[in-house]
Amino acid sequence: MEETGAATVKHPDMNGSAEDIRGQMVQLLPRLRRFAAALTGSVADGDDLVQDTVERALKNLHQWEPGTRLDNWMFRIAKNRFIDTRRSHKRSGVIALEVPVDAPSVTGDGARAADARLMLADTLGALQNLPLEQREALVLVTIEGLSYRDAADFLQIPIGTLTSRIARAREALAPMAPEG
Amino acid sequence: METEPTRETLSAFIDGELPPKEMERIAALLAERPDIGAWVRRQEALRADIKGAFSELMAAPQPARLVQAAKRTPISWRWHLGQFTAPRIWVPAGAALALGLVIGIALQPGSDFASRDGRMMAQGMLATALNDKLASDGYAGSGPRIGISFRSHDGRYCRTFDADAQSGLACRGDKGWAIALLVAHPQAESGGAYRMVGSEMPDTIRAAVSANIEGEPFDAGAERAARDRGWK
Repeated sequence: MEETGAATVKHPDMNGSAEDIRGQMVQLLPRLRRFAAALTGSVADGDDLVQDTVERALKNLHQWEPGTRLDNWMFRIAKNRFIDTRRSHKRSGVIALEVPVDAPSVTGDGARAADARLMLADTLGALQNLPLEQREALVLVTIEGLSYRDAADFLQIPIGTLTSRIARAREALAPMAPEG
Repeated sequence: METEPTRETLSAFIDGELPPKEMERIAALLAERPDIGAWVRRQEALRADIKGAFSELMAAPQPARLVQAAKRTPISWRWHLGQFTAPRIWVPAGAALALGLVIGIALQPGSDFASRDGRMMAQGMLATALNDKLASDGYAGSGPRIGISFRSHDGRYCRTFDADAQSGLACRGDKGWAIALLVAHPQAESGGAYRMVGSEMPDTIRAAVSANIEGEPFDAGAERAARDRGWK
C-alpha cells in the first residue's frame, strides 16, 4: 500500500517530542524507584507508586513546564500521590502495617545478594520509623544528593527547617549507626 | 571560648553544608573532642550505609511494567495541542481543517468504511468502537482505540480514533458516524503489528480537533454519559 493520503502529511517530528520525554522517564526509573521505596518502606509498594507516578505524569504532561526539571516534577508527583494514598487508606480504615518490609528483587548471587536485601530491608525499616517530614528531608539529601538549598526548594520549606529536620532524623537513627 | 556545636551544626557539617570557615572550625574541633568526633564518624558511616543500601536496587533491571508505563501511557491531549504551534503541513487555504474532508482511502467491502449518500461512514468494528468504547478502554477488545471525544462547533459529537493503519476523526450524525478526517499511518504498510505509540496523534487530526472543538474535550465522566445517551 502506498502511503495513502499521508503523502502530504509529514509524520510529527520527534524533536523534544513525546518519544524524548518517554525516554527521559525510563532513564529516571531507578531514581524514582529508590525514592518511592524510601517513602513507602517497601520496594513493591514503591513500584506501585512509581507506576502511578509515571502514568499521571504522562496523562498530565501539559502541567509540566518545558525547560524545568522533569525529575523534580515527577518526584513531586510521587510524593503527593504517596500522601494522597495514605490519606485514602486512613479514610477507608485500611491500617498500614508497621514497617512493611519485603524482599526486593536484586541481582547478584548468594550471600552478597542476601546481604544487600537485608541491608535494604533494614534501611527501609529504619527510615519508616521516622516521621514523613524527616524521612523525605533525609532521603533527598543523603540518598538523592540534593543540596540543602535544592531540597528546601523542593519541599517548599525554609532552609533552617530542613536543617533541623535532618538533624532530628540523624538523632533518631543514631542507635542503628555502626559503632565507631 | 568556642561555642559548643549544636547537633544541627554537626549534621550540616556531615552534609558539607556549613560556610567554609565553619567547616574548618568543626573539622579542627573533631580532633580535640573524641566524643564529638565519634558521633560524627558514626553518622558519616550511617549516611554512606543508607545510600549504599539502595545500590543493588539501582543496578537491577527495571520492572517491565514500569518501562511499559513510561512507553505506553497516553500523553495528555492538552500537551499535544500545545505542541501544535504552527502547521508543519501544507493545508490548502485552511480548508482541510474544516470537518468534511477525507484524505484518500481505498474503500473495500468488509472494511471499516462505507460510502452512503456520497458520505463516508464508519461501519463494522470502527462503528462499534465509536458507539461503545471509552478512551480508557485503550486497545482492549477488538477494533480501533478511541482518543478524545468532544462537541464540535456545529453541536455534533466527535471522536478521534486510532487503528492499525490509520487515525481519524468521526462525527455523529443522524445516520451514524461520518468520517471527517482520515490519515494513514506512514508505517502502516509494514502490516498489522505496527501501532502508534501511546496517543501520539497526527498533526492533521490535532489541528482538526483544535479547529472544531467547542469548549473542552470530555473527561471520563462526560464521555461515559454521552455514550450512555447513544451520542444524541
